[in-house]
Amino acid sequence: MSKKVITREEWERKLKDVKIRKEDMNKLVMNFLVTEGYVDAAEKFRIESGTEPDVDLATITDRMAVKQALQSGNVEDAIEKVNDLNPTILDTNPQLYFHLQQQRLIELIRSGKVEEALEFAQEELAPRGEENQSFLEELEKTVALLAFEDVKNCPYGELLDTSQRLKTASELNAAILTSQSHDKDPKLPSLLKMLIWAQNQLDEKAAYPKINNLTTAAVDDPAV
Amino acid sequence: MPSSAVTNRPEEVTARLGVGGGAAQGEALLKALREVKNQIIGNKTKKLLYLQLGAVPKIVSVLAASVASSLGGAGLEDAPVIVQAAAAIGSFACGVEDGVRAVLDAGAVPHLISILSHHDDKVVDAGARSLKMIFQSKMAPKYDVLQDKNLNFILSLLDSDNENVTELAACIIAHSCETNEEQKALCDAGVLQRLVSLLGGSSNQKDACLECIKAVVKDNSEVSSRFSCIGNGKALKALSDLIQDRYPYTRLLSCKCLIAIGHASPSYVEELQIKTKLVLVLAELLEEPGRVGDEAPFSLKKLIADNEELHKQALSINVIEKLCNFLHMSSIQSRRLQGILLALSELCSKLEKCRCQLLSPQVYSLNLEVRVLDLVIDSLEHDCAEVRAAACICIRNITRSLKNLSAGSLSNEAVVIRLVQLLYDPSSSIQLVALGALCNIIVICASRKSVLIRCGGVSQLVRLSTSMDSTLRLKSLSVLRNFLFLANTTDKECILKELSLHTLVSLLNDAEHSIQEQALALVNNLIDGCSSVEHIFTEKCYSLILDAVTRQLKQASSLGVCIQGMFVLSNIAAWSDFDKDSVTDYLIAYDDNHKPSLAIKFLQSNDKSLRLASLWCLLNLTNPSSAGSSRRVTKLQTAGIIFQLKSMLNDPCSDCKLRLRMVLEQCTEFETSQA
Repeated sequence: MSKKVITREEWERKLKDVKIRKEDMNKLVMNFLVTEGYVDAAEKFRIESGTEPDVDLATITDRMAVKQALQSGNVEDAIEKVNDLNPTILDTNPQLYFHLQQQRLIELIRSGKVEEALEFAQEELAPRGEENQSFLEELEKTVALLAFEDVKNCPYGELLDTSQRLKTASELNAAILTSQSHDKDPKLPSLLKMLIWAQNQLDEKAAYPKINNLTTAAVDDPAV
Repeated sequence: MPSSAVTNRPEEVTARLGVGGGAAQGEALLKALREVKNQIIGNKTKKLLYLQLGAVPKIVSVLAASVASSLGGAGLEDAPVIVQAAAAIGSFACGVEDGVRAVLDAGAVPHLISILSHHDDKVVDAGARSLKMIFQSKMAPKYDVLQDKNLNFILSLLDSDNENVTELAACIIAHSCETNEEQKALCDAGVLQRLVSLLGGSSNQKDACLECIKAVVKDNSEVSSRFSCIGNGKALKALSDLIQDRYPYTRLLSCKCLIAIGHASPSYVEELQIKTKLVLVLAELLEEPGRVGDEAPFSLKKLIADNEELHKQALSINVIEKLCNFLHMSSIQSRRLQGILLALSELCSKLEKCRCQLLSPQVYSLNLEVRVLDLVIDSLEHDCAEVRAAACICIRNITRSLKNLSAGSLSNEAVVIRLVQLLYDPSSSIQLVALGALCNIIVICASRKSVLIRCGGVSQLVRLSTSMDSTLRLKSLSVLRNFLFLANTTDKECILKELSLHTLVSLLNDAEHSIQEQALALVNNLIDGCSSVEHIFTEKCYSLILDAVTRQLKQASSLGVCIQGMFVLSNIAAWSDFDKDSVTDYLIAYDDNHKPSLAIKFLQSNDKSLRLASLWCLLNLTNPSSAGSSRRVTKLQTAGIIFQLKSMLNDPCSDCKLRLRMVLEQCTEFETSQA
């Protein structure tokens, strides 16, 4: 079956016909800034575009303080802050709480405080493993770090990456958003996913100017 | 942990808590409270430790003191202390039973309630959150909504602008309304209207309100109908819209609400259309992770219960396939597995189509060797009792498929063996369902009988037939009866040996007439196909059994007993002359009170099956090929039986009419030959 070919001209004509309201685009941007926690950007954007954020910017500030504390490796501080924000979050999210405790251990290991790390693992993390079998595997991995001289290059070394901090921070951020009845995922990435999916679907039926580079949104000529 | 001048060990922190004495004050007290709170949140071990150290009463006393001084206008310093104390108390009540108890015993609730009207939002939030934790526990006291004062208080909470407070109100109501009276009181007070308007709020508030609405309308037809009338159906519409909500949990909760309303007052959610939509939504929710996917099958089962039309709908949208796909997953959580098995059981309970689909080869896993049926059979051995019970019910319903039983699709030794294992289960409800399944299997699958004997099933069945529990006696007896259906001599002898005469006679004389009936049917199956008593019973056995049978016939405790008893006599009446004579004597005997004889009484019965059974008996007794038939006819004549028969010539039942004529023909032959 031969595919239909849509030229760049045709495509651009079709694109021109699609009416998207500026307000909706703004809402998407604001939603992204708010969910990801970019308070200053959100504030500036509010002033410039007149778009109202769907949450009180003050709550974002609190949430961002938590995120920042965690991203700088200050887990205890992050825990205290989230408990001030809403004490029920960590009480009702055992997996998140475990990951935060795990992060504390990782930070202790990173700063070479082996004695303290061992004590912490024994007093704080071991009981978590007892309370919930599914945590044991991750717990073992983390504690195993203590056995290695060159921690950064050992089998579970990736736990020491900043990516691990970011992962935990993201989990914590999502939990806070859920407790505030806010969507934990911004809409923009989902829209991009839908774009890719739609293009894949269309690929089977037609050759058309396609976006291959999501960062530039440049449209490539249809492959013939 | 960083070192500081003051240590943070639990014992020392606890020592700083409290009012007066050695307790800390001001900033130090605040710090101590914060320390406890941060140590215990999320940490069960620390909660238990602090509980043992007696921290809770101390914290509650601090709360009480701060609240009192705050009310006295002493000022802003109290707010932070109240917030921290309340948060700590709430955390103690989260997920730890001892914690809830300690919090309740220390009298925290009234103080927490009093801060709900504090001017500082943070204080109100703290109080509301903690109370919500407490009221989410089963151990929390029920709030007496029948008292006006209390009801008004709840209503005021529902009117609050603060979402934590409205959610708390919804939580308290859901926790406290159990009786119809309470539900009505809440409805009368306008709670439902308020909850519906709150459905427009944030998603957490929506969820809390949905749970609350369900609690208020559940099993209460008056309240459910009134709900459906709110805003001329606007409330129902709001719920229907929510089944398409973006959040799966909200969709599930609104489905549950609609199902509850539909069950309590059918006319309002009767339309097949809405119910079909619910089936679709729940079918999708089956695939959600976490608690939504775990609970969805239970709601689905409730929705379609006993409704063939909905079973068909579910079948048409491939629900069975969806459910079966989960069975193939290697690590499925017990609760979800239980739900899926129950949903499958419901679907297989009535429609043959559903059973066939489940058993059909198309419903395969990636590993083609594994059949769905085998996965269900495996679940019969699951660690979790609820899963075992659900798997058992599923098997029992599948075995209602006559077609598949005969085709041998269910001819799997493992089924029988596992079911017999369940006969030893500590739970009698599981035993009952296992018996139900065996009852079905054993009728058609003659080959399964040997398995049953081999794995000790017969012994256990006999043991259960002497159980104190009458339902167990009844069901196990039914299995034995079915076992004996068309059984060969070896099998009959096996049963008799295990059952023993003593047990059989005591079952024939059981207090429950349903059990008498099954015992009689069992005897029938024993003697069926025999041409004389020696084939099956010794002389002694026989007379004891016959005594019991005739005694029950005289007592006539139920229709079923009479019918089965007459079948026994009919069978015996096909034996020797001697036997026929005994039967005749029983039938025509009457006592001094001039009550009619058994024969007359049964022939005059309104029930056609009983009349028919009696006619069969007479047919055998008056069989011309038997030598003593003529003298028996005379006896029957003298006893007025022939006269009775002649009066029945217009019997409404055609079967009866036919046998009646045959009997009369046979009798007339003798009359003519005598004449």
